[in-house]
Amino acid sequence: MTLHRLSLRLRQAIMTLHRLSLRLRQAVTQARHLHSSRRGQQLEAVAVEPELPKELSFFRTRESDPACHAEVHMGQYYTLSPVHLRTVFPHGLPSRFQLQMKTFNETCVMVRQPALELISHLKKADYSKPAVRYMFYGANGCGKTISLCHALHYCYTQGWLVLHIPDAHLWVKNCKELLPSTFSPSRFDQPIEASHWLRNFKITNEPLLSKLKTTQRYVWTKRESTEEGRTLAELVEQGVARVRTSSDVVGALLKELRLQAGQPMEGRQEGFRLAVAVDGVNALWGRTSLKKEDKSVVAPEELTLIHNLRKMMKNDWCGGAVISSLSQTGSLFKPKDVYLPQELLGEDGFDDMDPFVPVPVSNYSEKESESCYLYYMDRNWLQHPHSRTEEGKKELLFLSNRNPNVLERLCASL
Amino acid sequence: MAAFMTNLLKPWSPRLTLVRWTRYNPYYLEPETSRDAYNKPETELTPEEINERDLKTVRPIKAAVSGVSSSGFNDQLMNKFVNMMMQEGKKILAREIMTETLESIKRKQVEKYHKAGPAAKMEIECNPYAIFHQALENCKPVIGLASIQKGGKFYQVPIPLSDNRRRFLAMKWMITECRDHKHRRTHMCEKLSQELLAAFSSEGNVIKRKHELHKMAEANRAYAHYRWW
Repeated sequence: MTLHRLSLRLRQAIMTLHRLSLRLRQAVTQARHLHSSRRGQQLEAVAVEPELPKELSFFRTRESDPACHAEVHMGQYYTLSPVHLRTVFPHGLPSRFQLQMKTFNETCVMVRQPALELISHLKKADYSKPAVRYMFYGANGCGKTISLCHALHYCYTQGWLVLHIPDAHLWVKNCKELLPSTFSPSRFDQPIEASHWLRNFKITNEPLLSKLKTTQRYVWTKRESTEEGRTLAELVEQGVARVRTSSDVVGALLKELRLQAGQPMEGRQEGFRLAVAVDGVNALWGRTSLKKEDKSVVAPEELTLIHNLRKMMKNDWCGGAVISSLSQTGSLFKPKDVYLPQELLGEDGFDDMDPFVPVPVSNYSEKESESCYLYYMDRNWLQHPHSRTEEGKKELLFLSNRNPNVLERLCASL
Repeated sequence: MAAFMTNLLKPWSPRLTLVRWTRYNPYYLEPETSRDAYNKPETELTPEEINERDLKTVRPIKAAVSGVSSSGFNDQLMNKFVNMMMQEGKKILAREIMTETLESIKRKQVEKYHKAGPAAKMEIECNPYAIFHQALENCKPVIGLASIQKGGKFYQVPIPLSDNRRRFLAMKWMITECRDHKHRRTHMCEKLSQELLAAFSSEGNVIKRKHELHKMAEANRAYAHYRWW
């Protein structure tokens, strides 16, 4: 009897979902974006998702482990636990997203196709071969940084060591203190940025750092040095405490991690895996807005931090992956409408990063924009009575062209 | 016929006119910007509305102002406030300040909403437009003062105020309060959002100013008979 009732209800649910998918299909046959995601699979995902259970709504999923995210969850929001948030993202999330976190009293990220694609690559990659470089690219405000953060969350839950540079552009502009480098006379140090980054790095990776050891002796000044065999946690502590030498500490740390990623370490059969995540990778090969004392422009390779980071981006080390994303928003001397890797990286950057796996990030699809609208309604964010009507929703999606950033800014004042 | 009439009633102006000094011929009618007026079916129109619609087919219509749109998000009071805040013709800046103010009001209220218990959730008003309208409503004075000369001396006489004057005074006080009496380094949107939220709960300096005006009017009620209109 109950089986019969269940089958009837399932049949009704499938029919309503079939009607919904037909409507979506009609909307989809209109103009397509060049870098659009696989729409067929999304429509199947709509049909597969059950309507019956009350705990799973259309736009939310209970699956908070990125490793278990599949195409079924595309377009749905998953919640990051506060513990993970504090450790993985002390400095990674965009500022507007942090405001949203504070207002809604929760952290929800949408599961989208580019991040899922990257996670599937990371699952299947061979880590005995040199590191593969992945690059998110797309127009402004499409969700490259958030996709990067999603992939990084996956790496953290798998126990990788996470090296996250939240915005490389911050290292090439507005530097208050530019000291001549202690290590090499032609380079410049940025003590504030380096020590700030080291502090956040320590918060993310404390347990792993206390197990790894240095492989050589580092001499910082006449009286300070770090012996061979000391833990990397001590090295980082040294950099945080002694701000003057923090840029060189960063360089030493990157070198150590490059050597030891993938090597078997104590208490484990295989070595740890290293995830290098850089947002705004085009800053490494662009121009800086910093000037030397004689008013001549500083080139990026003359900065210690940038020099060491460029070495990290080469694929001559094994046991990890390099996840990067381009960014025009913080970039210097680049026009606003430029977003392709060749244009943003320039010739040198493209030659250095070549070969890499490009992952395009585009505007929201119909399902994703529907999901975003429902999420804002659920969080009591859309207050204007007109925005709660069908017409208002169509107006919002049209005005924003389904661009995530623009939609968020529009909905903020409504 | 219409063109002949406009020719007769046109005020004289030299050939090369500056746009700022031209005036619409009174023959021109105001534009109708809301979409609902055009979506009404024939059967629902009253005879006056049908007459108006027929008049519009023969008369010329003024161009719509760029600050007004046919979207459902258009708000007349908001437009007036933005125009009053605008300085040196910088409408984009004034509008941006307004949207940032609404955003900051909404953020504060929604944050409070999500942190409150289920009982308190019903009390919290999250709609920034409702808060803005209610705050200005609370700031509107009921009675005003006029300076009337009698026997060589000027007396402050309590007078009734028209709706437009009341709305103007409320908005003017709000803007001057935020510009002049707050800390110089805070952004206008922050100052406005604080003052609007205070006025919504009938607190703050603007409400105080309204009450002072009411008190003055009450104190001068002896001179009320000096008003002759």
